[in-house]
Amino acid sequence: MKIRNYWNLRDFGASTWENASRPVRVAIALISIVLVGLLPFMGGSILATPIASFDAVLVYPVGMFVLMSLGLNIVVGKSGMLDLGYVAFFAIGAYTMAILGTTTGLNTWEIMPIGIAFAMTAGVLLGIPTLRLRGDYLAIVTLGFGEIVRLVVLNSSWSKGPNGIANIPMPPNLGPLKFELENQKVFFWVVMAMIMLTIWMIRRLTVRRPGRAWEAIRQDEDAAELMGVPTLKYKIWSFTLGAAVGGAAGVLYASKNLYIAPEMFTLNVSILILACVVFGGIGNIWGVVVGATILGYLPDRIRFISDARLLVFGLVLVIVMNFRPDGLLPRKKREKAIVKKGANA
Amino acid sequence: MFAVLIDQFWSLTIAGVALGFIYVLVSLGYTMVYGVLRMINFANSEIFMWGTFGTIVTSRDIFGYTQTSAPATGPKLALVLISQLLMSMAVAGLTAVFVEFVAYRRLRAKGTNRLATLISAIGISIVLSEIMRLLTSSRPVGSPRVLEKIILTEVWGANIRLDTIVTIFAAALIYFLLERFVKLSRMGKAIRAVSMNEDAAKLMGVNLNRVITTTFLVGGLATGAAGFFYITVFEYTKFNIGFTMGMAAFTAAVLGGIGNIRGAFYGGLFLGLLEVYASAVLGTQWKAVTVFVVLVLVLLFKPNGLFGEAVQTTRA
Amino acid sequence: MNKKIQRSLAVVSAAALVFGVAAAQTSANAAPKTVTIAYQGPLSGGEASTGTDEQNAVKYAIKLFNAKNKATYNVKLVSIDDQGDPAVAGTVAPGIGKNKAILGVVGPAYSGATIASLPFYKAGGLVLISPSATRVSLTDSASPDFGGPVFHRVVGKDDLQGPALAKYATQGVSNAKVFVFDDQSSYAVPLAGYVKGGLAKVAGATVVGTDSVPNTTTDFSPTIAKIKTSGATVVIYTGYYSQAAVFIKQLRDSGSKAIFAGGDGVFNQEFPKLAGAAAEESRVTGVGGLAGVSAALEADYKKQMGVSSGVYSVESLDAANILLQGILKGNTTRAKMLAWVKAYNGKSITGNTIKFSANGDISYGLFAGFTTKNGVLVNTGIVK
Repeated sequence: MKIRNYWNLRDFGASTWENASRPVRVAIALISIVLVGLLPFMGGSILATPIASFDAVLVYPVGMFVLMSLGLNIVVGKSGMLDLGYVAFFAIGAYTMAILGTTTGLNTWEIMPIGIAFAMTAGVLLGIPTLRLRGDYLAIVTLGFGEIVRLVVLNSSWSKGPNGIANIPMPPNLGPLKFELENQKVFFWVVMAMIMLTIWMIRRLTVRRPGRAWEAIRQDEDAAELMGVPTLKYKIWSFTLGAAVGGAAGVLYASKNLYIAPEMFTLNVSILILACVVFGGIGNIWGVVVGATILGYLPDRIRFISDARLLVFGLVLVIVMNFRPDGLLPRKKREKAIVKKGANA
Repeated sequence: MFAVLIDQFWSLTIAGVALGFIYVLVSLGYTMVYGVLRMINFANSEIFMWGTFGTIVTSRDIFGYTQTSAPATGPKLALVLISQLLMSMAVAGLTAVFVEFVAYRRLRAKGTNRLATLISAIGISIVLSEIMRLLTSSRPVGSPRVLEKIILTEVWGANIRLDTIVTIFAAALIYFLLERFVKLSRMGKAIRAVSMNEDAAKLMGVNLNRVITTTFLVGGLATGAAGFFYITVFEYTKFNIGFTMGMAAFTAAVLGGIGNIRGAFYGGLFLGLLEVYASAVLGTQWKAVTVFVVLVLVLLFKPNGLFGEAVQTTRA
Repeated sequence: MNKKIQRSLAVVSAAALVFGVAAAQTSANAAPKTVTIAYQGPLSGGEASTGTDEQNAVKYAIKLFNAKNKATYNVKLVSIDDQGDPAVAGTVAPGIGKNKAILGVVGPAYSGATIASLPFYKAGGLVLISPSATRVSLTDSASPDFGGPVFHRVVGKDDLQGPALAKYATQGVSNAKVFVFDDQSSYAVPLAGYVKGGLAKVAGATVVGTDSVPNTTTDFSPTIAKIKTSGATVVIYTGYYSQAAVFIKQLRDSGSKAIFAGGDGVFNQEFPKLAGAAAEESRVTGVGGLAGVSAALEADYKKQMGVSSGVYSVESLDAANILLQGILKGNTTRAKMLAWVKAYNGKSITGNTIKFSANGDISYGLFAGFTTKNGVLVNTGIVK
């Protein structure tokens, strides 16, 4: 395959970063964080969304999509397992928040670890039996798991069935930062902090043993197993970490939306998140961030073509995938898996 | 709990088999493509949906049937039914070829990652369903009744209805023809060759593009036939029916062993029966949960589905 | 090279699509005062037909109003598309809550989307008049879903409809054996509960079976098997007309002669059209449509809007008219509009008196019974 070096933003970014000295790096990072943090004040600019409120859109879908895509990227991008049921962990987090938040006196920050723990437990319980499966079989089993979670919630009375749960409490104030209904900038900053934490976690893991194990599994699972990588263990780890991020996103979402119902957790969400990962550049953190931002933002930005906006969304997916199949910001070449023709993986 | 199952066992079984055969044909759409490309043809559900509209347009707009007109009889009945079937197959077949051309070909030529292809296929299925939604203003469309649903006879307390019988036998026939095609024809052999080893097939002079287009076409034809039977039995369609059908048929294909034509057959029938029995015993709200639990259990013990992928001789 | 050009063209055209903001239409005519109201409901996605029907009725009301009051007011409509989905409503509502130009909202159409939007509208003091959100908890001050003080509705709630449907379905049937099933949606499950409650009060009626069928189902054979086993003489479905049409065909084809009845989700003239002869003698409760109010009104509607009126058009018209009359009385701030609606005492186009209770319900909310005769749902009068 010929390597074409066109419009390579990733390499440009990577080389700038590598050539920079430590103070410059800190400066770049700080400036970027401040600029992104100022986004909620940009509501009056060309970025504004016509009907949806801009600061709300920044939290959900954009921020949440970025967070969940990063979580899913650990599973799909880093260790190469196709997961079509990611929404299940999001739902588990959200329902933990909703039920505990409305029945006990716990606040969002106290429920957060519980929600994450539940999501991780679900990840382990699902992972142990199913992660032995490969490729598309894993895809359909995870897809099934996502649907099972939704249907159990829909058919049960403890979750109030299809009615959903209303009056979920907002998070308590963080010092001077007040959570407001009408201006969701603080929510956005919290999501941003969670995103940065996730990015930091992924970057640390990637350069250490788990990251190398995932890489080996993704490239060739049999070879990895042969070389002594305990593949199942690392696959479960990757799955569980992904679940933790999904669960955390769910807790915050429930606490932001104040109302959740089973119809919010359909397969479409899983597919959309997967689309974000692949669209931006599977395996590459910054690609995923860009992809999720665009796909989260686009449908609300183009509301003026209201009826046809999903059509445009579909077209964008097809066009971008056809012209940039590795995503907008692809991962480095050496990290790409060797394409094994005819192999079932 | 089991009273319904015992009381209505044969009615349920007949309904399950008819539904199962529709699943079989749609599963073929997934399994054929998977066999050759090792990819889920995510857009197959929308290909099915377009097929159902092809069926309705034929009876309603070409033959002028309305909701109130009397069902057809005699030679006219055969004429209308066959044109509906052919139209549905043609629409679905062409849509499938279009999907291959737009969403798969370029990516395949580049030999890129499978996920990009998956997302591209998801994109095209959104496009297909949105176009139909805009064309029908999101409204459901009913089909005029062409085939009178006469109760032919009663066996063990179950009604044997004409449309069910037609569906079962005609679908079985179409399945049989497709299987023969893949097994015996020159093109079928080429398809199997590509599915076993793409490079070797290419070396042996197989025209890869033509084989893949044909695979999509054949899968589309099967799916289109399913659209026709679906309309004949249920007489209803909407732009979003593809999703549910696609999930079911894909599950059926995986249950049987995806990529394996015979697997689609048994998987489809198994799923059709499982759905009706589970709904009768546990309540319809638990149908999907049961299906997925069974799927997970099957895959745990038979990781390649009930019939496996390894059946190279029958593999598409 | 060629590829590069192609690629950049693709990027440019995509960018043009995304950022090509339609130029805002500004009118030079400053004389009439421009005021804005909104409609919220599903305008895209799977439920779009309901929202489109309702919004058309609102547009019709505004069209008449603007024509009549050309000199003084120019009312603009903002379309809020929540897709009937609470997740979407949660992102749309904050902007609407903040946009003080919007004086009042007709909608939200769906109860789930209403609950998700409520916190923002309560905070913004924005008055809501829903034509079709029937969930009981929305006007129950003890419930976490309670929509007061901003939420109002011009449609009867489920606990009025459930018993009415139970009565109407079993009318003239002695010792009715009733099978009740729903479509698993947040609209249908509670309504099915109220139907069962209503059946307990109908002499001789017993519930012999229940089911809950996902609203994407087209194969109803297991449900029909249950109906046959239970020996039901009456089948009540709470769900929507499209599924009801598929079901009733299959029920009749299976040879069953049980009476079929449905709630206002089934009440749509599309139901007999979709189901054909199988729908004959089906019993449906609902609130009459525009044509039921006056044929002349329906004709004018069709002339003005280019399409026939659809579901909840009477309720949507009523809701829009309440807001429009408020504008005419000079209530052009949110607080004034809210007070106007709370104190409103006027007539519906059906002739009933609209006056909201403290929790936002109308006082009448009587449901009419409809029976399919020759392919049309015919009003047989209010169910008593």
